[in-house]
Parts: sequence; C-alpha cells; structure tokens
Amino acid sequence: MDVQSEHPAEEIKDLRRCVNDLVSVLALPAMWSGGAPSQVVHTLLGSLRGMLRLDFVYGRLSDPSGDAPIEMVQVAESGKRKLLPEEICKTLRLGVSDDPRKWPSRFQVSMGDGDVSIMPLRLGLHAELGVIVAGSERADFPTQTESLLLSVAANQAAIGLQEARLLAEQKRLSTELDQRVAQRTAALAAVNEELEREIAERRRAEEALRAAELSSRLIMDSIPGLVCAMSAAGEIQVFNRQILEFFGKTPEELKSWATSDAVHPDDLPRVVAAFSHSMRTGSPYDIEHRCRRADGVYQWFQVRALPVRDTGGRITRWYVLLTDIDDRKRAEDSLRASERYLNLIVNTIPALAWSARPDGSAEFFNRHYLDYVGLSAEQAKDWGWTAAVHPDDLNGVVAAWQRMIAFDEAGECEGRLRRFDGEYRWFLFRTNPLRDESGKTVKWFGTNTDIDDRKRAEGETRRSEARKTAILDAALDCIITIDHQGCITEFNPAAVRTFGYDRDDVLGKQLADVIVPPALRERHRQGLARYMATGEARALGKRLEMTAVRADGSEFPVELAISRIQLEGPPSFTGYLRDITERKLAEEELRRSEAFLAEGQHLARMGTFSWRVESGEITWSDQLYRIFEFEPGGLVTVERIGSRVHPEDTHILIDMVEQARRAVSDFEYEHRVLMPDQSVKYLHLVAHGGRDQEGRLEYIGAVQDVTESRLSEQALSQARSDLAHVTRVTSLGVLTASIAHEVNQPLSGIVTNASTCLRMLAAEPPNIEGARETAKRTIRDGNRASELITRLRALFAKKESTNESVDLNEATREVIALSLTELQRNRIILRPEFADDLPVVAGDRVQLQQVILNLLKNASDAMSTVDDRPRHLRIRTERETGGQVRLTVQDAGVGLDPQGMDRLFEAFYTTKNDGMGIGLSVSRSIIERHQGRLWGAPNDGPGATFSFSIPPRQRGTTSAG
Amino acid sequence: MMIKRALVSVVDDDESIRESLPDLLREFGFRTRAFSSAEEFLASDCVDQTRCLILDIAMPGMTGPDLQRELKLRRRQIPIVFITANREEAVRPRALEQGAVACLFKPFSDTALLEALHLALRVN
Repeated sequence: MDVQSEHPAEEIKDLRRCVNDLVSVLALPAMWSGGAPSQVVHTLLGSLRGMLRLDFVYGRLSDPSGDAPIEMVQVAESGKRKLLPEEICKTLRLGVSDDPRKWPSRFQVSMGDGDVSIMPLRLGLHAELGVIVAGSERADFPTQTESLLLSVAANQAAIGLQEARLLAEQKRLSTELDQRVAQRTAALAAVNEELEREIAERRRAEEALRAAELSSRLIMDSIPGLVCAMSAAGEIQVFNRQILEFFGKTPEELKSWATSDAVHPDDLPRVVAAFSHSMRTGSPYDIEHRCRRADGVYQWFQVRALPVRDTGGRITRWYVLLTDIDDRKRAEDSLRASERYLNLIVNTIPALAWSARPDGSAEFFNRHYLDYVGLSAEQAKDWGWTAAVHPDDLNGVVAAWQRMIAFDEAGECEGRLRRFDGEYRWFLFRTNPLRDESGKTVKWFGTNTDIDDRKRAEGETRRSEARKTAILDAALDCIITIDHQGCITEFNPAAVRTFGYDRDDVLGKQLADVIVPPALRERHRQGLARYMATGEARALGKRLEMTAVRADGSEFPVELAISRIQLEGPPSFTGYLRDITERKLAEEELRRSEAFLAEGQHLARMGTFSWRVESGEITWSDQLYRIFEFEPGGLVTVERIGSRVHPEDTHILIDMVEQARRAVSDFEYEHRVLMPDQSVKYLHLVAHGGRDQEGRLEYIGAVQDVTESRLSEQALSQARSDLAHVTRVTSLGVLTASIAHEVNQPLSGIVTNASTCLRMLAAEPPNIEGARETAKRTIRDGNRASELITRLRALFAKKESTNESVDLNEATREVIALSLTELQRNRIILRPEFADDLPVVAGDRVQLQQVILNLLKNASDAMSTVDDRPRHLRIRTERETGGQVRLTVQDAGVGLDPQGMDRLFEAFYTTKNDGMGIGLSVSRSIIERHQGRLWGAPNDGPGATFSFSIPPRQRGTTSAG
Repeated sequence: MMIKRALVSVVDDDESIRESLPDLLREFGFRTRAFSSAEEFLASDCVDQTRCLILDIAMPGMTGPDLQRELKLRRRQIPIVFITANREEAVRPRALEQGAVACLFKPFSDTALLEALHLALRVN
C-alpha cells in the first residue's frame, strides 16, 4: 500500500472513513439477508456508490439458470457527465468480457464524452456470480482503500450473492418443492379421489357380484338340475347343492371326477374325450352318460357344458348342466320295447288290420293282411289293396269307403277278398278314424274280419228249411210238434199212418185230446203246465214208454222221445213216437225166459257172463252179481273183477286175460274171491269163445260158486293132516323114530367120547386129563339119554281107545280124500268100490283110519317104481257072509314073496329102503284089538292085496277093549 | 394114508356131538372146528380150508342136504360125511346120490368114522 504521507490527518480521516466504510460494508449483509440477489446487488451498488462517491456502479448478475444476466446500474446524479444507464450497460457489456481472467484490475473505457475508470469486481471466485463494475471519472480511481473496499464489498457481495443465490435457490427450490408438493398433493389427492372412487366402485361391483353370486347360487341351487362351474382350464370351482347331494361326494372328491367312480366306467373314456376336446377347442359339449348316485346306483344324465367368454373372446368359465334323463332313457327303452311289442301285437292279432291316410290311401297293413291277400306292402299301399277285392264287390266297397272319408264317419261294409290261393271269402270291413285334439281326422284304422262262414250259413238256413220238410215227410217215426199251449203244429205222414188221422184234422188241436188216452190226458196237461211254469222237465230228453190211442179208439204202447225246440219266443216241443206193440210182446217173452235162466242160475249157484274182449264189454247175469256181491246191473270191468279176486289168485286172472288176448277157444279156471267181509269164495269158471256177427271175439261162460265143496275139501284136508298128525303121534313107528332121533344124539356122544377116552389113554404118554374130560362127558350124555326116554314115554303113553260107531265106507272115503293129492302125485289111479249095505262097526275111528291109511300107503309105495303098467289101486268094502265088514286094498306093484308073508307083520321087518317095518304090525294089533284080523297075499297078476275084516257093531254091546 | 393137520369141520345142532367129536378127531390127528348150524359154517372163514365136512342131516334152518346143495352151487368140492340120528330118513340115499362120501348113523363107532374120513380124504 502506498501510503502517502502528505496529510497524516487526512490519512487518518481516510483510514477512519475506510474503517467505517468497511464496517458498513461488513454490515451490508445484514441488510440484504433474505433478499433476492438482485436486491443484494442493488443494495451493494447503492452502498458503494454512496461510499465511494462513484459515478456509476454497474452490476451484472449471471443467472444461475442460464438466462440472460441481470444488469443493474446506478448512476450518481452528481456526475459531471451525464451518463446514461443504457450507455453504460452497453459499453460495459461490450467492454467487460465474461472471462474474468482477462480482466485487468482497472481500465478505462470511453463512455460518453470522456473516459471512465472502471474497476471490475468479481462476484464469486471465478465471477460465476457476476460482476460489479465501479466506475469513476476520477483518474485516481480506485485508490488503495477504495480497492480494498471494493474488494471487500465484492467479497461480501459475493458472499451475499451466494447466500442470496442460495437463498433464492432455496426459495426457489422450496417454492418449487412446495409447488411440487402441492402438485404432488394435488395429484395424490386426485389419485386418492380416483382410488376412492375406484374402491367404491369395486365395492359396489363386489357387492353386486356377491349379490349376483348369491342369486346365482340360489338359482343354481334351485334349478332342478345339477350345475357346476368350471374354470377356463376345466377345474370345477362351483357346485350347486343338488350336484353335491346327488353324488354324495365332497367338492374335492368331485373335482377329481375323471379318476373317480362318479362317471360310469363304460362311459368314462367317451366323457373324458369330449371334455378334453372342449377344453382344447372351446366348443361346448353335450353328452349323455351315467353318473353314480350317492347310493351307488348309476343314472343317465345329459351333460351340457357352455363356455362363458369375456369381451375379448377368451373363455373365463364353463357352466355345466347335468340333466337327469334316466327316466327319459328308461321311458325311451320301454317305449322301444312297447313299440316292438305293439308291432308284435299288430302282426299277431288274428285279424287283418290296416291304416290309411285321411285321403283314404292305405298306409300300413299288418302281417296277416299281407299274407292273406298275398300282396307285398308296396303292392298293397295307397289303392293297391283293391286288387284283392272281388270285382263284383269292388265298386261297392270303394264307394262305401269314400263315403266314410267324405262324411268323416266310421263305418263298415262287406265284400269278398281274394285269398293268396285265389279263393274268395266274405269279409266285413270296419273302419275307425283317429282324430287329433282339434277333432280333425289324422288317420284311419280298420280291420277286416272273415264272415264267410256266417254268410254261407245264411245261405244254408234257407236250404235247411227245405231239407227239414223232406225229412219230416220221409221219416218212419211219427214226428209231432206242439206249441207251448199243447196244440199240434206239425203232424208228419208217419203219424198220420200210425194214428189214423188226417193232418189237417189235427193241426191246432190239443195233443192230449188227439193221441193221449183219456185216462192220461190230465196228467199230460199237468206235465206241460208244470214245465211252462217252473221249467221243470221230467219228460224231456228221455225215452219214455206210454200208451197212445188211435183214431179208432184202440190203445197201443208207444216209445216216445220229446225235445224242446230252441228258438226265440215261447218254446215248442217235438215228439218222436214209435209203435212198439210187437216189441213189447217180444220183450215179454224175453223177460220170461230170462227169469227162468236166472232162477236156474240161482239154484245152481252159477252165474253166466259174456265178454267182448276187444271192447272189454262184460255182461253178467244177476246170479253172478250175487256171487260177487256187486250191485246188480252195475258196470263190470276186468278191473272190477280183479278187485274181488283173492290177492293170491290174481295171477289166475292175469293168465285168463292173457289167454283171452291170445283168443284161445276155451278156458277153465278155479280161483278164490275175497268179499268185503273178508270171507272167501271159491269159483269155478268155464268159458267158450266165439265170434259175433261183426266177427268180434266174444267169450260166453259160466261161473259156479264151489265154495262149499272146496271148504269141505279143505275140512277134509285139514282132517287128513290132523289124522296124519295123530298118526305120527300115535304110531309106534313115529315113536320109534322120535326115540331114535332124540336118543341117538347122546348115544353118539357116549360112543364118541368113549372112543376118544380109550385113544387118549393109549397115547404115549397117556392123556389122563383128556380122558377124564371125556369120561365126564360120557356120564352127562348118558344122563341126557335117560331123561329123554322118560320124557318120551310120558309123551307117548298109550291112550285108551275110543269106542264108537264107524261107517267104514265113510271112513275110507275120508282117508281117500285126504290122501288124494299124494296118490295123484304118485300117479296112483284109485278105484274105490264101496258096498252099499255096509254095516256099521264099533271101534276107534281114527285107529281104523290109520290102518286104512297104512294099507293105502303100502300099496302106493309098492307101485312107486312101476312104470310099465297103470298104477291101479283098488279099495273095496264089502260085507262078508258072516256079517263081518271087510276092507281090501289091492295094488299092481312089485308084489310079495309068499314065503316072507309072515315076516311082514313082524315088528321092525321091512322090505322098504326107508321103512321101519312098524306099520303093518301096528295095524295088525289095532285090527286085533277090534276083534278082527289083517292079512295079505300076493296077486295073481302083479302086486299084492291086503285086507282086514272086523265084526259089525253089536246092538247094545260094546267091544271088549 | 392119513393126512395130518387137515381141517375137518363138524356141523351139528346137537351139543353132545359138538362136544365129543372134535376131541376124537384131534386124537385122529386132524385139526377141527365145530359149528352149531350150516349158516354158521358158511359165515365162517373155514369154508375154504375145510378138507372134510362132517355134517348132520336134520337141522333147523338150513339142513345138511341144503348145505350140500349150497356148497355145490358155490363149487366148493368139500367131501361130506353125513351123520344122522334118524335112520328112517328118506334123504339118506338122496344125500349119497348127491355125492356125499358116506352117511353114518348115530351112534357110530370111531373106526366107522375114521374109515369114512379116509374115504373122504382119499377122494380129494
């Protein structure tokens, strides 16, 4: 600093002034704080001008935002020159460049009319803020202190400017910020508003949606169908109540319908295919398939799925509706079935059925029709059927049909239809229209019925009338017809001849008065009246016999049959009469001879029968009924006879039938019949076969009840066996045999045991124990034997002989009867010769019979080997000259050795192989006890003869025992 | 020539016989079995082994000759020695006719029996 020392007091004043100015300058910021930069500059300029007594002060503020700088200039009024601000600005603008580096510290510019010293001052380090130019006309401008002042001021200004700028910036920013905030707030408010509106709208929309959903749910739940909604991808999202109820599954389960049993397995592939196709292509699907109900039953549903698209055409949802068509399906099936059935019926009913259109052209013919007329459906349709109608009837039929159509009335007509084989038959065509609800005929139905028979019958009736008359006239029987009042309406020629009246005489007269004998007239009238009153007909339909009277008054028997004529109106009656006078006489004869026969049969206890084998017809006489104890006159069949035949003899009946079948000429049988009361009858039957007029085989036979003789035979047989038993019991031979048999057992035991005992003792070493045992057994057997004999003796003790009168003939006959079968078996030919006047003997009948039996048996045995001659056995009873009764038995057997005769009667002597030789000795002793004798002798011819004789019974005496 | 240990069966309804005969037969050296009826014999297991049959004629039920017939029907060729207590039986000759070896009357001696057995076994 150049201090000029001229005036130190001035210097101090200057310095003081400078310091004051500095202080002022330093205080400037306080003035311009918070102000705008332009204010800062303005203040500064003002301060500087004042402080430094500048001529002008110029300031240029650069605009931080790049706009044109702000220029300010303040000019001192006191200036010598008149400096115009504009000029200053312009000059400085040009003179002071923007680049501060180019600035000198001071320079002079010409301005106005002189030069001006300026001092630019940087505002900011690099004049980024601007520049201040101080200008003064003083040449010494700027002094040191002025420079200093200016610099400080510039600095301050810079600072202030910066501050101001900052402030301004801040302000600006803040303003901007505020603006922005306000903007933002406004924007936000707007957005908020917008948002709120949106929200409100959305809420409304949601409400609406919920409401819609609710209502749709209500709808869904109330529509009678199973509904669900699927997403665009096919996932089921919504289920209505019904669908859940139907399937009985949870929504989750239903979502997996493709893999569960919800759809019937048979339908599932088809359903999945359709579904997938729809999902892919977006086209709706409509399929019928079965769904599984909650209870496991599958039902048919029609399932329709429709897509819902948004405005852009994209599918947002699928709605699926399942409609239960199960009933429909069943109905369809049953409809099909009933259609088939109907078809069957239509073609099966035994009538010709057809249908036609309203215009009369035929549409349909059932099977029968077509088969009958032999036309095909093609040929018969429309009007083709007329070809089968008889040409004569065609016009009538077609006309009738057209009339029915025209008047729209059901009707019928008759006409002949040609059968497939060409034959024409009468048919009744019947038609019936089918009307719709409005009453219009939409179709005609008809049937054609065969009335040919009736038509012919109608023709017949006429012809039969004519025939009837012919019959009446030609009949041999009298045919008389009366009406319900009993008046004669018909009297045929035969009646005329029989009764002797003319037809005209009797017509209209009461029958009773004409042909009924006076005595019977009342009854006849009553009978007719009763019938008319009660319907009770005693005389109808039966063959009656009554007495009739001729015109001449003579009565005669007639056979009569009455029938009622069934026609409309009151009844009339026809009587067929026949004069049976001759027949009656013949009947009487027959009756008489039959009575004789019946009597004869009764006496003989013999019934007769005839048997037509082929027809099985059997006729019996009354006696035969009596024998069999059947109701006389009842039906006789082989079976019925069989019911009486004794069960053990049914084979006989079978054999008889067999013989009859083989048509043998004769047969003869004996069999038993068993009566209901269990009694038995013996029947002897003889029959002879012959041929009747027609060549049919007929047996005529007789049956005799031989029960009595059989029974007595049986009694005899029984007596014989009794006798045989007695014989066995009493004869010595039996006794011996019994003894032998019984005693020989223990005897044999004794012998055997003893033998054994000896052997045992003889053994080496001796079997003492065994021997002892055998000895014991021996003793036991011995005891047994003695016991036996004791018993036998008790059993067979001799009994007292009885003493009675015995007719030897009768006794012999009995013995013969008892032995007959055996004798017959041995082919013995018996020749009994009984004396008539044989006296009675006294004695034991049974014993005597025993002897006779013995002799018979011997004689039979003697002939048992004889084959070359007949085995004659003669038994003879005779009265000896001395009065003795002799019985002789002679055989034709092997004979006897006369030498051995005596020996025969020895006990135990026998020539027979199996004989014991007891019989003759016992016999002899019996006879001797009867005071008689028994002997035998060989015959002259073959065989021997044995006889015994006993004295006859003495009156009043008994033979000594 | 005696065949030892041959089986001889005895069929008789009488107890004395059934008691005494077997011991004697054993003394003879035979094996023996006794039966009280023809039915019992047939039902037994001895039918095939029996080398000789000592058979009573008169028995209740199936008689001796009946058994003889039955065995014939069955083609059993067993030699039969009939024994009978009843000498007047007419069946004796018939029994012999039908092929029995012998017919002994009770009581019979041991020698008679032995002879019959020899005959029977020789026949076999």
